[in-house]
Amino acid sequence: MKKRDVIVDAGVLISLTSSCLDNLLYFYAEKYNLRFIIPPSVENEAVTVPLKKNIRKYLFSAIRIKNAIDAGVVVVVDAKLEEDIKNLMSIANNIFFVRGKPLHLIHKGETEMLILAKELGVEYILMDERTTRILIEAPILLKKHFEKEFHVNVMVNKKNLQKLTHEIGPLRTLRTSELVMLAYEKGYFKSFESLEKNVLEAALYKIKYSGCSIGFREIKEYMSGVR
Amino acid sequence: MRTLFEYIPRILSAFKKRDQRRLRKLNDSVLRETAVDSTKINFRLAIISYVLSKIVSKPRLLSEECQPALSAIEYSLVKLVKKMRIADESMIMDLFSEIETNVSLLEERDPRFVIGLLSKGKLKMAATFYAQGMSLGIAAEMTGIDKQEILDYAGSTMMFDRLTEEKTLKERMKIARQLLSG
Repeated sequence: MKKRDVIVDAGVLISLTSSCLDNLLYFYAEKYNLRFIIPPSVENEAVTVPLKKNIRKYLFSAIRIKNAIDAGVVVVVDAKLEEDIKNLMSIANNIFFVRGKPLHLIHKGETEMLILAKELGVEYILMDERTTRILIEAPILLKKHFEKEFHVNVMVNKKNLQKLTHEIGPLRTLRTSELVMLAYEKGYFKSFESLEKNVLEAALYKIKYSGCSIGFREIKEYMSGVR
Repeated sequence: MRTLFEYIPRILSAFKKRDQRRLRKLNDSVLRETAVDSTKINFRLAIISYVLSKIVSKPRLLSEECQPALSAIEYSLVKLVKKMRIADESMIMDLFSEIETNVSLLEERDPRFVIGLLSKGKLKMAATFYAQGMSLGIAAEMTGIDKQEILDYAGSTMMFDRLTEEKTLKERMKIARQLLSG
């Protein structure tokens, strides 16, 4: 079976490991040949720094992510793309303007994920961070969101918006929640027998409370369709 | 520096009057300004205005024995008002630090919470910036709060229900299934 690559952000790895759902990564790697790719900055943030600085709160996640890296389920790819990252950041942070000033939307770490996906030709990106996800899927939604939040007119630099769309390419985004739901459909929770549906719902709430950008409404909607 | 000049004297006045409602409104305004003009100074002012509004909302922090610490906060704010037009960024940051130190002193008298007012304020502001539309990375960098802490906080709120998503859950699941079949 052909390897299928997915770029993953630190938030996803941390919420999966801290929810004891990281076996999902192994499940997908073994059964569906998925490979989860991270840039070095994600390894640094989620593994190296917590281990080096002995940050107790994050040690458990850090060790489990390190295990997944050692097992080859999570792969670190250093594409050395500093210039590209700078360029894309400059484009993305100069799309929306309020009172003549650009709104700074995304950070280096988030931009690195997008550039890495482009460089490796990876079509899927797994991220729970909302702003970057919306920027990929429907940037104009952000304009509406800002106007609602700040009660101001938001101007759009269409040229930069087009450049961003061109640079990002046809990226498809997934959240941890979809990974969990799909795992349920593929029998991942079967061992819980009569509690299979309950454990799915509990897992969805657990990752929601860990910051996955899924709404309570969406969880209810999915659960109402589960037999 | 517009935010600073405009809001600090008003924050001082509201704090002197222990007017929580006014402080909350000022905090909302500073937050909106910060989103548009996201400088470190504005972020810090957003955190401080939030913390001050929390202080005046807690009777235990307004008791007689807390008065010296409250006066010290007021004194630091007065200093900031006096110097803000001539001070450079690093001086203003130092004055913010002085206010924060005085807030910590206030709490030393009654350290009943594991997370202090300042840390809580930073977390709340970071989550608010994220909810307003800044990325997690920017919110974390500007407030000095770990991304995961912001995510944990945001996850327990309704913020992900407030934004209408472009894709329906059905469409998202379709994409997820394509990943396995494609």
